Parts: sequence; C-alpha cells; structure tokens
Amino acid sequence: MGFGDLKSTSGLKVLNNFLSDRSYIEGFVPSQADVAVFEVLSAPPTADLCHALRWYNHIKSYQSQKNRCDQRFVAVSLPGVKRPLGQYGPAGVADATSGSAPAASKDDDDDDIDLFGSDEEEDAEATKLKEQRLAEYAAKKAKKPALIAKSSLLLDVKPWDDETDMAKLEECVRSIEMDGLVGTDILEEKITAFEDFVQSMDVAAFNKI
Amino acid sequence: MERTPKGYTSNFVEAGLKLFIQSHRNMALRELASLEKYLGLKKPNKYSTQGDKKVPVLQNNNAPPLVGLVTIACHLVKEAKRPELLGDGAEGRAVVQQWLEYRVTKLDSHIEDTKSILKDLNLYMQDKVYLAGNQLTLADVLMYYGIHSIILDLAVQEKEQYMNVARWFDHIQHHPGVRHHLPPVVVLRNRLYTSRHH
Repeated sequence: MGFGDLKSTSGLKVLNNFLSDRSYIEGFVPSQADVAVFEVLSAPPTADLCHALRWYNHIKSYQSQKNRCDQRFVAVSLPGVKRPLGQYGPAGVADATSGSAPAASKDDDDDDIDLFGSDEEEDAEATKLKEQRLAEYAAKKAKKPALIAKSSLLLDVKPWDDETDMAKLEECVRSIEMDGLVGTDILEEKITAFEDFVQSMDVAAFNKI
Repeated sequence: MERTPKGYTSNFVEAGLKLFIQSHRNMALRELASLEKYLGLKKPNKYSTQGDKKVPVLQNNNAPPLVGLVTIACHLVKEAKRPELLGDGAEGRAVVQQWLEYRVTKLDSHIEDTKSILKDLNLYMQDKVYLAGNQLTLADVLMYYGIHSIILDLAVQEKEQYMNVARWFDHIQHHPGVRHHLPPVVVLRNRLYTSRHH
C-alpha cells in the first residue's frame, strides 16, 4: 500500500491514478486519511494529473474561510485518525515512507488536530455527516483494541437565525466542559439551553477513536 | 387442449408493463419521499398528481399549490432550513438551478441522446467533486435520481469511458442519507454492491 514517494512525480502519478475513480482517499466522505496525504504534498499537483488536482482543490476547500456567510457548522475535526501514509492507497505499491510501523499511530491525541483549524479564529467548516454510516465506517476501519476511551463528536449546531452572532454561539458551545461524557442527551440539553443563540443541535457524527 | 406458453407470456408481459408504467409515473413521488428522508423532514407530505404525465403537486395551505418535481424539491429544502443545498453564493445558486433545469429538460424529456449526456457530464466533472461547489447540493441529488437508470444499464467499458461520471455517481449514491428508493449500482472496481448485470 502507500503511494510511493509523494514528493516525486512517480508517487504523484500513483496518487492520480488512485483518485481517478475516487472522490476521497478512503471511503466516501473527507477524513483524516485525506488530511494525511494532503499534508505531504508540497504543492498542488500539476494540471496533467487532473484527478489528483481535483482532489487537492476539493480538500483545500475545507480550510476555514473567514468570509463565509453561512457558518453553520462547528467542526471538531474531519473524522477518523491519521495513519502512516503507507497504509493508504493502492495495494501492490512499495511503501516508501519511513517509520511506517503501526505503533507510530498509538499516541494520536496530539495528531488529531484539525489540519485547517486555527487557534485564534473560529473554524466553521465541516461536511454534514450522518451518524450511523460514519460509525459503521469507523468501526470497520478501526484497528484499535476493544476498550475505547476516546471518541470524536461532530456537532451540527443551528443558530437561531441568520443574524445570530456566530462567534458568540461558538463561545457558548465551547464553554461547556463535561468529563466522561457517556451519552449525548445531556450535551444536547446544555447546548440548547443557550436559547438566544441556538435553535437546535444534532449529533452529526460520533466516532470511536 | 394444449395451453400455449404464449398465453402465459403475454399476460406476464402486460402485467410487467403496467407495473413499469405505474412505478415510472410515480417515480417523481418516490423521489420526493426519498428527498424528505434525506432532509430529515419528520412529517411526510401528501402529494397529488396532475395531467397525463402525473406531475407531482403539493398543496400549500392558502397559497397556490406547488407544481413540479424541481419546484417542490426546492420548497422542501427551504422547509428543512437547508439553504446551502441550493448553492453557495450567487454563482453557486445559479449553477444549482442550471442542473435542476437540465434534469427536467434534458434527462427526463429524453430529448438528448444518452451518449451525449454522458459525454457532456463526463467533461464537466473532470475537475469537480460535486456538480456545484464543494458540497453536496440538490443538483447532485436530483441528477443522481434522474441518471440512475442510465448508469444501471452501462456496460463495464462504458463506465470506464465515462470515468468522471461514474466516480461522481458512486460518490453520491454512497453519500450519507441520500440513497433510499434506488438500488445501489456497482460502478467501478472493488465496490461492494451488485448491479443488474453480472
């Protein structure tokens, strides 16, 4: 697996071919798999690698945009967990990445940052994802042992109306701190308690990490 | 007296045709029901139909009724408070409307030859993941519903010939919450589902 050396033309060609019939590196929604590959590319693929370029421009669009008028989503992160590059891509390609042992992914807490997030400003981009399909997908792909202590929760918080102050909305949502969250009902209660800002809340995705 | 196989055959054929026509006429209603599910609208609407073509109609309280698949679909999107499904920005919205119109005037009307539809769409999708912008819109959903029967009937070589269409189609049919009334189609290599042709 892997794409070979993504810094070289040969690796990019593998990526291009791989993406000819795929929208994403893994599955049918953007995920940390896309982030992992995106991060390795030093520049946009050239125009002759049209599939890789298409994918690149699309993943790039998930960066937070300051001037987006419709900022309805508060993203925790793209779902999934970044794995070593050698674990993605077509079978039968020599893995040219270094240190590609699976153990490299064990301490993922720090790695699981939203690539396109920013500490200072609100990150308001995420794809709307349905809970059940992602849970199925994540469960299939997960290589972790049965005892799962961490989960990634993607919330879709609808503002009261189009004049709602989104910064304030985010502040309210972020102010909620809960240790050892077992179910989402309490969280929903707390979020929807901010009645002036929040119209409703849905759990868009809930993945075990 | 021999019972001819012909007698059986014509009955079956006739019954099959009737079923086909009925379900075809109600396709628009099935699409609207699927769309309601995708949008998470809790209460399904009651639709009626009008005319020979059984165009869907939605009564709209005291306002004039809404007529037509696209009109009603856009209304449902607004009802569900998902304006982003109609496009992002003025240009995005224009592109979405363009494709909704394409669905009705080119796809449904059977005016255009299938090959030329696929060729145009394939060229269009070369550098795009969705029909309009970088998110799923109503354009993708209604085009997916509309083109399904064409894709279902494509041979393997044709799917490779129109690779971009196949890629987009596979993506949309797998998009969370979209596929309800339509069977999955095996589009390209290593996919999970089975298609009509083996």
